Parts: sequence; structure tokens; C-alpha cells
Amino acid sequence: MNIQTSKLLLRHQLLEGAKRRISREPYRCFSCSIRHAQHQSQPPKSPQDTPGTTHFGFEKVAEALKEQRVGAVFSSVASSYDTMNDLMSLGIHRLWKDHFVRNLNPGRNPLTSLSASERGWNILDIAGGTGDIAFRMLDHASTINNDAHTRVTVADINPDMLAEGKKRALATPYARSPRLKFVEANAEKLDMIPDSSVDLYTVAFGIRNFTHKDAAIREAYRVLKPGGVFACLEFSKVNNSVFDALYKRWSFGAIPLIGQLVAGDRDSYQYLVESIERFPSQTEFRDMIQEAGFLVPGQGWEDLTGGIAAVHKGVKPI
Amino acid sequence: MAPPARLSNSIFGIFRATSFRPALLRKCRLYHSYEYSQPPPFSATASAILASAITHVPSYGFTSTALKLGAGDAGYLDVSTNLLPRGVFDLVNYHLIMQRLALKDNVQFPSASEQGTAKKLGIGAKVRTLTLARLRANEPIIHRWQEALAIMAQPSYVPTSLAELARLADEIWFLAGDTSVDTSWYTKRASLSAIYSATEIFMTQDTSKDFTETEQFLDARLEDVTRIGGFLGALGEWVDYTGHSAVNVLRSKGVRI
Repeated sequence: MNIQTSKLLLRHQLLEGAKRRISREPYRCFSCSIRHAQHQSQPPKSPQDTPGTTHFGFEKVAEALKEQRVGAVFSSVASSYDTMNDLMSLGIHRLWKDHFVRNLNPGRNPLTSLSASERGWNILDIAGGTGDIAFRMLDHASTINNDAHTRVTVADINPDMLAEGKKRALATPYARSPRLKFVEANAEKLDMIPDSSVDLYTVAFGIRNFTHKDAAIREAYRVLKPGGVFACLEFSKVNNSVFDALYKRWSFGAIPLIGQLVAGDRDSYQYLVESIERFPSQTEFRDMIQEAGFLVPGQGWEDLTGGIAAVHKGVKPI
Repeated sequence: MAPPARLSNSIFGIFRATSFRPALLRKCRLYHSYEYSQPPPFSATASAILASAITHVPSYGFTSTALKLGAGDAGYLDVSTNLLPRGVFDLVNYHLIMQRLALKDNVQFPSASEQGTAKKLGIGAKVRTLTLARLRANEPIIHRWQEALAIMAQPSYVPTSLAELARLADEIWFLAGDTSVDTSWYTKRASLSAIYSATEIFMTQDTSKDFTETEQFLDARLEDVTRIGGFLGALGEWVDYTGHSAVNVLRSKGVRI
């Protein structure tokens, strides 16, 4: 009987899958992904209208499923992650990441700090599997602030991305030093990180993929020391409408195509652009950060390249 | 029935909107009001960090080091300086704003009734006293002020810095009791801004005791302005007189003007 029900379930799932496939597009190519973008550029506004479901790009999936499917996307892109980022953003993502790290100015200069008790910062880099931000942080701390104690914990939910980061770490001076640590963790439940222990919590191009963004921000608030900073680099909304039209053309037209040609994986990159479209605007996300209890500096965010990406910051009050 | 109801609704809406507007504007007022006090220019946390950071400026200058030490003194972490979106410029801006707001408490003029006994202080003399008081407020950090000027001159900060200079000139004229409502409102503020910034730069190079040379420099510039003002006035009078005479001469020759 057990086998029978599972068979029934399987058939049901297959049917559902087929239905969904039919209801989407009969076939996918460059032109129809543009059409798709134009049809769907105004996605249904309420992100969580039925309890228990969340969005996966423009699709709606059960909350429990999103984590798995995001995992599948990043497992499949892990090896070609850097090449793809370069191609999709024309190399600009490196400038954004450099600016993000330089502005945070990590590291405690031993020559100018008066108290010798605290040495270096404790940085937690969430969703930083490939170590992009972590290596930049450590480089900045060592070469700019002469700080040999600042340490970074890289947390990612995806073991494939972490493996990619560990492989890359071997090319840096931090590979076997205590300054760099890799942890497999879900940003919504950071049980291995004690309360009030982190100076700087960063998440670069990751929070978009979280199932519960508010839970992740609350968890960030918990692990940060009073006075600690939550910093988030993420795709955002373009301010200029003309530039926005061009940008939409590029993201919905070219990015899935590049994904297909270079990484051999169109669907993952289709998800990527759809998830960017679904991410809340600058003001909405700023309000989410404030709701969690953070103080925001100035207007709360800084636009990069006309709003394609934005840096959001929040300071945990004392 | 429906259209009038909608009309009354929309009118009510307009009234409601207007009655809500003052509540919104109360936070940020564009005019000076004696009735309401202005909201503090910085949030409590930011001013706590900046107030302690400014005490480190004489030894560390307008740098991120001073900011970090200030954050440490206020009980925050090094990383908390990210609360200031413009970094060191926020420290410079804090100094400018706090010294401008302190001006009205630092300089007290005798009120009109007391003035009868003492020598009556003209508006020009009051402007001089206020300008000197503002310059003297830079004394503790004057050896670091060139750094601040360099930061203010960075292209993205120039508009804010100029706006702050204009606000300072306005504050000085206001406190001096200037009530002009003609074009001289603009020329007074523009000339005072020019004099103030020139004197400030002179002061960074001044090595004389108690900045007496700066005082002389300021007096000379203020005198220049009165002289130029007098010259322009005389020139205007001359042009007016000559123009009228020319017209009258032509009229006497029978030209129909």
C-alpha cells in the first residue's frame, strides 16, 4: 500500500510538473525570454499572499522547497560563478565589491588604537561561499590597516559554493591561518554563532535568495555586538526609467542567454534575473532593516551604478 | 447623489491634507521661528560619536582615526563609524554646524535699553564681533583646519560646504539685527561669505600672537567692502546725475525725449 501511494504521489507530481511546464512556455529562446520579461515585468506585488508559499523568481513555490531549489541553482553554477559574474556585469561586480569593502574599512590599526585589549574585528560573511568578500576584507585589514588579527567566518548554506571558496583560499595567504574559517550554515538559524559576538555582518548578493529575509536580519541583530554593523550589498531598483528599460533588456534578454552559452544552464540564470526583479526596493528594504531594530546611517542606503546594486547598512544600538 | 458626495469627500480630503501638512513640516522648517525650536541636526547616536571624535581632532586631525577613537570613547566599536555615511566629512560638517549654532550663545549684545548708557553698537560693528567670534571658535583646531578645507573642497562635498557657508553668513547678519528686505539682502550675505572664507584661510597661516594679524586682515576686508560700497554708490549717483543732465541738455535743444 505504501508503494501504491508513493506511486500515486509520483504520478500526481509528474502531472503537476507537466502542467506547469505547459502553462509556462512551450519552448524557450532569446526572443521569448524577452517577451516573458515584458509580460512579467510587473510581477504580482504581494510576495507572501498565501501562507506557506514564497517566490522562487516569478514562480511560487512552497517555502520548504525554496531552500532546496536555490541550493540546486547555486550547486550548478558554483564552478563557473566568477566567469559568469564577469560576463553578466561586464566586470562591474568587482568594482562594487571593492567599494563595499573599502567603505567598511575593516581592521583595527594597532598604531592608532589606544586600547590593546580588543585585537582585530570579528567579521561574519554570510552567503559568501566563494570567499569574494572574505579575501577582500582580509586583504584590506592587512595591507591598509596593518591588522594581522581580523578574522572572517564565511558561512554558506551550499557546500558546493564553500568547496569553491576553500579551493580559492589555497591561492591566498589565509588558507591555513586561523583568520579564515568556513562554516556551512543557514542564515536564518546561526546556532553556532553566540549572541553579541560579531563586529561586522556582511551579506553580498545573497539575501535575495533567503526564504525569510526578516528572520535573517533578526538573526544578524542577535549575533552582532552592540554598535556592530549589518552591511548588505544587493541588487536593487534602478532610479532612471530610461536606464531601467535598457537594464531590463540586458538582464532578461542577455543574461539567461550567456548562462546557456557559457555555463550550459539557462534556468539557473533565468532564476537569477527573476529573483533580482522580486527583491524589495531600496526604501522597503531599509524599512525592513529598521524594523529589526537597527539604526540606519543617513537615508539608509547607497546606490551603485544608478541603483543596479545598493549598499544597505544598519548599526545595532547600544 | 453620488457626484456631490464625492465632491464633498474630495474637498474634505483637501482640508485634511492641508491640516496634516504642518505636522509634516514641523520636523524641518525652512524659515527661522521664535516659537518653535529646531530639531537637533544629528541623531543622538551620531552626535554622541561625533562629539567625542571632535575632542581627538587637535591630535589626530580630521581623519577616520579621530572618528574611531571617538566611537570608542562613546562606547561604540570601530565599525560603528559606518553610521556616518560621509565619514570624515560628517566630522567637519559637525564642527561647522555646532559652531554656527553656538554663535548666538557665545556672543551677547547689550539690549536696546542698556545701549543708551554705553556707546551704541552699529550693525557693522556687530557683524565684525560675530565674525571674529566664529573665527576664534576655530582656534583649538586651526593647525588641522587645512585638512578640513581640503575635505570640503572635494567635488561631492562642495555643495554642502557652500550651503553651510551661506547659512553661517545668514546667521551672522540675522544675529547682528539686519532687517533688509531689498537686493542688499543678497549682496550682504555674498560679501560676508567671501570675507569670512578669505579670513579663515588667512588664519590657517597666521603665526602672530593671539591672531592679531587675522583681526587686522578682517578689518581691512570689511573696510574694502564699505569702500567698494561707497564707490559703487557714488558711481551710481554720478551716472544718474550725468544721465539726467544729458537728457536735459538734449531737451533744451528741442529734441523730443
